Amino acid sequence: MKGKRFLLWFTLASLLGVALSQQTPFQQRVSQAIQSGGPEFQKSMQQDPDQALCSQYRDKLPAELVPAFLERQRKLIKYPADGRLMGDWKKGEELFTNPRKGNCYACHTGDPREAGAGNMGPGLVGYGARGTSEAVVKYTYDKIYNAWASMPCSLMYRAGYHGILSPEDTAHIVAFLLDPASPVNANLKR
Amino acid sequence: MGRFLGLLVALVLGLGALGVLAQEEDDPVKEAEKQKQQLLEQSGGILPSDLYVQQGEELFKAKRGPKQASLEACDFGRGPGRLEGVVGRLPRYFFDTRRVEDLDSRIRTCMIRLQGFRPEEIRRSEVVAIAFYIASLSNEKTMYVRPLLPQEKQLYELGERLFYLRAGPRDMGCASCHVTYVGRRAGVLPYSDLLGDKRVASHWPAFRYSNDQAWTMADRIRACYANLGMPAPDFYSEPIIALTLFMNAQARGARMDLPGFIR
Ligand code: HEC
Repeated sequence: MKGKRFLLWFTLASLLGVALSQQTPFQQRVSQAIQSGGPEFQKSMQQDPDQALCSQYRDKLPAELVPAFLERQRKLIKYPADGRLMGDWKKGEELFTNPRKGNCYACHTGDPREAGAGNMGPGLVGYGARGTSEAVVKYTYDKIYNAWASMPCSLMYRAGYHGILSPEDTAHIVAFLLDPASPVNANLKR
Repeated sequence: MGRFLGLLVALVLGLGALGVLAQEEDDPVKEAEKQKQQLLEQSGGILPSDLYVQQGEELFKAKRGPKQASLEACDFGRGPGRLEGVVGRLPRYFFDTRRVEDLDSRIRTCMIRLQGFRPEEIRRSEVVAIAFYIASLSNEKTMYVRPLLPQEKQLYELGERLFYLRAGPRDMGCASCHVTYVGRRAGVLPYSDLLGDKRVASHWPAFRYSNDQAWTMADRIRACYANLGMPAPDFYSEPIIALTLFMNAQARGARMDLPGFIR
């Protein structure tokens, strides 16, 4: 009974969704306004469907939309041709730091000596404590390549999906976080 | 005056550096207040923003443009020539242009209509200086932006939509930092609480002592988009006016601090 009612609401909601996607007058107005900001601005404000969902629900996706969302995001992850998900931590350090590439210090600590690290994301000092099992390496790779594949609408941007980091770049950053020789893990007892 | 400004700039930068070395306040507003007091003591009571205000007043009152007119007849919402407190009710709908306009775009409108400038002739630096002058006449007045007319309500909604819109290569929007993660820091800079702290939107236009820039809200919004890796919306365009309307309405009831003095 409950299930049926849920199904009904779900169908209604989807129908509404279809109706909405046919551009309401307000949405047309939004598009017009964005257009008036100039062609470059307009281009950058084009959303992909999941950016649109995260905006619509203000990052709190309804539970019933989550599985499909995660599935779509997981499909976007690409891996290095040689299959190695852990590269060179030194290259990773440069990519992690570079504001035009990873820009990871904007939100995370990493090398404990870095004074200008932000705190919007969890601290990553000593991240390597979790070891380098296949599962840990893959989790870390996937998180960096596409943060939304494990956390819908995360604040963390999808660096790989947007092409800011290549699969190889991503693997280097994985090494920067997990390699015992990386300064991120300098304080871990070995 | 140029040299005087240069001197002041050096002073500001020097003080800024000192401020960083000395103990910094956690609250950006308190920190800015401290910097301001220090600067006032050093300069004998003159702030860089005072110079912009003065320059703006000269530009406002001078007969300029093809029509050789001043801007004194410009209507900022309280009637021609009445300037006190007008910033507290902008952006608002204007019947003559049939548009919701903010401070910047209204100045531009009057430069076009009263003085006869062509849009491409309008210099941004002049608009900013005039904005500083007009803002100085709203200092300590109340922010009372309230979308009332349908056009204002619609633009407010639009601003809200844009505020929460996540896009671009960093998957970000204004709300990501200013609502969801407010109180946190990106690098060393804390985010201002645009929905919760009325002081935030009520101190624009402002002088930024950390890099010696005179900014209106439009400059602030454009820089935010640039920080998100997105090309900024054009000056005087609707996204800027809509976002400004949305943010100013959040600051309703605040006592305005104008021109602002901020990091
Ligand atoms: C805009 C802020 C932001 C940026 C930039 C950012 N992250 Fe994150 N990151 C977060 C947030 C918030 C989380 C927690 C939510 C989540 O898991 O998505 C997170 C989670 C993580 C995690 C999982 C932590 C754990 O304990 O499981 C890793 C690893 C990570 N980020 C690495 C990175 C790397 C590497 C970069 C640079 C390519 C980066 N982040 C850039 C905000 C950010």
